[in-house]
Amino acid sequence: MIRNLKIFWLLSTLSAKTAFQHRVGMISFISGKIVRFAFYFFFIYFLVSKTRFLAGYSLLQTLIFFLSFNFIDALTQLLFREVYRFRPLIISGEFDGVLLKPYHPFIRILIGGIDIMDTITIIPYIFVLVYYIFQIPHLNSANLLLYGGFLLNGLVIATGFHIIILAVGILTTEIDNIIMIYRDFTKMLSLPVDIYKEPLRSFLLFVIPIGIMMAVPVKVLFGLLTFNMFIISVIVTFLFMFFSLFLWNKALKKYQSWGS
Amino acid sequence: MITVKDLTKMYRVPLKTKNLLKDIFFRTYKEKKALNKISFQIGSNELVGFIGPNGAGKTTTLKILSGILYPSSGIVEVMKFTPFDKKQEFLKQIAFVMGHKNQLFWELPAIDSFKLNKEIYEINDEDFRNTLNELVELLDARNLVDQPVKTLSLGQRMRVELIAALLHRPKILFLDEPTIGLDLFAQAAIIRFIKEYQERYESTIILTSHYMQDVERLAKRLIMINHGTIIYDGLLKDLLETYSQQKLINITLLKPLSKDFAPPEKMQISYRFPQLQITSRKEDIAGVLSYMLKKVEFIDVTIEDEPLEEVIKKIFSRH
Repeated sequence: MIRNLKIFWLLSTLSAKTAFQHRVGMISFISGKIVRFAFYFFFIYFLVSKTRFLAGYSLLQTLIFFLSFNFIDALTQLLFREVYRFRPLIISGEFDGVLLKPYHPFIRILIGGIDIMDTITIIPYIFVLVYYIFQIPHLNSANLLLYGGFLLNGLVIATGFHIIILAVGILTTEIDNIIMIYRDFTKMLSLPVDIYKEPLRSFLLFVIPIGIMMAVPVKVLFGLLTFNMFIISVIVTFLFMFFSLFLWNKALKKYQSWGS
Repeated sequence: MITVKDLTKMYRVPLKTKNLLKDIFFRTYKEKKALNKISFQIGSNELVGFIGPNGAGKTTTLKILSGILYPSSGIVEVMKFTPFDKKQEFLKQIAFVMGHKNQLFWELPAIDSFKLNKEIYEINDEDFRNTLNELVELLDARNLVDQPVKTLSLGQRMRVELIAALLHRPKILFLDEPTIGLDLFAQAAIIRFIKEYQERYESTIILTSHYMQDVERLAKRLIMINHGTIIYDGLLKDLLETYSQQKLINITLLKPLSKDFAPPEKMQISYRFPQLQITSRKEDIAGVLSYMLKKVEFIDVTIEDEPLEEVIKKIFSRH
């Protein structure tokens, strides 16, 4: 475990060193992210402040949905940035080099490139999120604890998603479009899942469990989650993770090592 | 050390038809056999040349032996491990260098990748320092390790790639075209290094190369593969004795050949004054030389074996 953490730390340091080689690109990337966040934040703010409620949620609640989405989204991008760089490894066959190393390949291709730029942008997200959470009237500490737990649960689902993307990448060399589809779906959850009608709502919650990843933690925070939903969320997360690892092992056996 | 028995590897290749819709919605596949029930054994401290034309199955075999690819059938055992299980104890004892692939951080100096490998392979500080110094000396790479990899030439990059691959002193080294694209000097340096490394560390090396000089200089044993089947497995000298029936006689002439010079048909001649080269069967050499003594005036004669490349070409053309 300590060895894996050491390797993870070194890979992250090397990734940061690489990022610092392109300073102009780095500055424009961070600026773009902050501007996009600010525009969307104020869009929701003005929209809901005029209508007062969105699908039954107040302005504060809607903002917390949005901010929680941003936090999870930034955290997954920060952790799994290497997945976005996986296609060239597969196309060139340099993934071979990863498979030859005495560690689990996920250390390199899943979490092996902590994105320093996302590390910088996530800090203001956290401050704003914490600020608004403490604006909730009668904030319950048990709910706050469960909120943290379900954020972790969301991270597990996000890990599963990225493992599936890697597996499909090995099987088809197609990665970029799958990432785009994943990001488009998650973006739908930047607003409360209740704004979508059935069957789309159930589809987002259980079939592709993005709802469990993004919306359930916030519902827990507001004390809106039923016990049944709690159990279902845990089971779906477990099954989803199991499926992603199954697909990954299958993909490794089918790997053809292109590029030579 | 390495045991391969009836190893088969199939690839699924989509079949193209003239019907685009059919290709998209009702695609059919054909199974392509990359390896067809090959078997061989390699002992410890052996250096084996693995040769064959493009697409013969050399790299596929190496990738299965190192655990990258999953075999379709057959038994593969390397140091009593099943490579595809990717056990850490196994991966810590092997290294795979591919001449056409980069395994270092492209934007950063090679030393950063070396330090990462130190942690990955759990090399202690002293061993790391000693091995690195030794390899840097052997490969004359002292001033290369601190430069970003992207600024190195192909030959320089190959030297630092070798250092990165050998820092953990692997027991088995797979070298896939390590000299591809290198100039003659860089090629010679790499070959010299491999030879020295193997003698010093007594490791097992499997080498694939299209340059027969590399194989000739390094390997005592050859495994030849074509269309996924092994067509020769034995000593290089035995191969030459069995298949090389001809010798090359090089004569440096004193005077140009006279117009009435008419050699017997069994002699193949190539002539550009002052060089005359005759290809002759081994048993005819004495006859050829006595004929030339009578017919031409010369200042030098050398007799060489047929180049390995020619012998191998002949063997492949038969299979």
